[in-house]
Amino acid sequence: MAAKPGAATPTYSPKLVGRSRLPIFKDSDLDWTRPDGRGFHQCRPALLQTGAVSSASGSAYAEFGNTKVIVSVFGPRESKKAMTYSDVGRLNCNVSYTTFASSTLGQGTDHKEYSSMLHQALEGVIIMETFPKTTVDVFALVLESGGSDLSVLISCASLALADAGIMMYDLITAVSVSCIGKSLMIDPVTEEEGCEDGSFMMTCMPSRYEITQLTITGEWTTPNINEAMQLCLDACSKLGEIMRDCLKQSTSASDE
Amino acid sequence: MTTELVTPGDVIGKVSELKAGKGAYVNDTTIYASLTGTRRIVSPLPESLDQRAIVEVTGHKAHALIPEPGSVVIGRVTKVMARMASVDILCVGSKAVYEKFPGIIRQQDVRATEIDKVDMHLSYHAGDIVRAMVLSLGDARAYYLSTAKNELGVVSAESAAGETMVPISWTEMQCPLSGQTEQRKVAKVGS
Repeated sequence: MAAKPGAATPTYSPKLVGRSRLPIFKDSDLDWTRPDGRGFHQCRPALLQTGAVSSASGSAYAEFGNTKVIVSVFGPRESKKAMTYSDVGRLNCNVSYTTFASSTLGQGTDHKEYSSMLHQALEGVIIMETFPKTTVDVFALVLESGGSDLSVLISCASLALADAGIMMYDLITAVSVSCIGKSLMIDPVTEEEGCEDGSFMMTCMPSRYEITQLTITGEWTTPNINEAMQLCLDACSKLGEIMRDCLKQSTSASDE
Repeated sequence: MTTELVTPGDVIGKVSELKAGKGAYVNDTTIYASLTGTRRIVSPLPESLDQRAIVEVTGHKAHALIPEPGSVVIGRVTKVMARMASVDILCVGSKAVYEKFPGIIRQQDVRATEIDKVDMHLSYHAGDIVRAMVLSLGDARAYYLSTAKNELGVVSAESAAGETMVPISWTEMQCPLSGQTEQRKVAKVGS
């Protein structure tokens, strides 16, 4: 695995400096303190490693606070399920939770839709024409669910695909923002997600500055959404830098 | 020739100065990398019309290796039927694939001459290692392969006695233990 021992885990907290208008929701206006003591615009430290699963073509492990996920990518390979010929490659995503992932006993909340949401986020960024007739399988496993699961899954899956050598237009990074009362918090934990009024998740290509997926649920006002978008764009580009560093480190480590 | 590490999405050149090669793609007027690897600049062929240098990105692993039309592959024959032989593709070029791909060699692609008189059972046996060329992506089930060249065909085969046979001509191989000759479409290996 490719992390230097003793190196500090980098974080991707965005900054709102330099904006012409002051943010509508200031930190002093709080009716909520974050359980882990972070500021509203502070993200958790991000630990990313590639090459976690040696039997897969590519893999990545991500630890964002208490959310721990591992993604393995197999392929491009023949798929028995594919009965028809296809000129472009196919993508198959599967997200599963371990039984010990959440603090509630048993399965916890059902996240069946995460597989198709991960598929939507990834299909815009993989160059399917480079592997005709074959399928790329992405298997994601959530080891511990500590909040913002889908965003961490998407970023980790993009790192695993880059590790497997699948051609992509760019890396993709995902960040989510929660709205509780009058405050916006970035990178929510499970407790905050449980009592949020609205959630906003954005997946974007940091180098191309294009958004591949945007999911908004709950109650939002327009100035709210604008601010959330600015926060996410800034955090996404910072997370993109962290992911690139991780890839470059593991490439040079394996060359030695 | 500068070499540096790039990741997918990194800007590696402009269309006005360079052309996009393997591992790179063009969007608008910028060339971006699509793989993680080292960026290299390759000089163009002297006879090509476009004299821009080519920028390409080479990955360090056997990345996303799939059989492509025109590539030479090595495989093992699994089944021999009246008009075709099934092959499991194990290597593409000089690199082994993670998981094997199915391929078939049809009767008309076994050799270049007298293709309607080919007997599949006198060309291949199950278990033979063959070197073949990928003709096309084929159908949903298998890639189409061809051994219709001198250097393509059986490279290694076991005799009925269980010993690795020695090639004695382009149609026969002999078992060193029993002396029996068996018929195969043999590949011409070496100079």
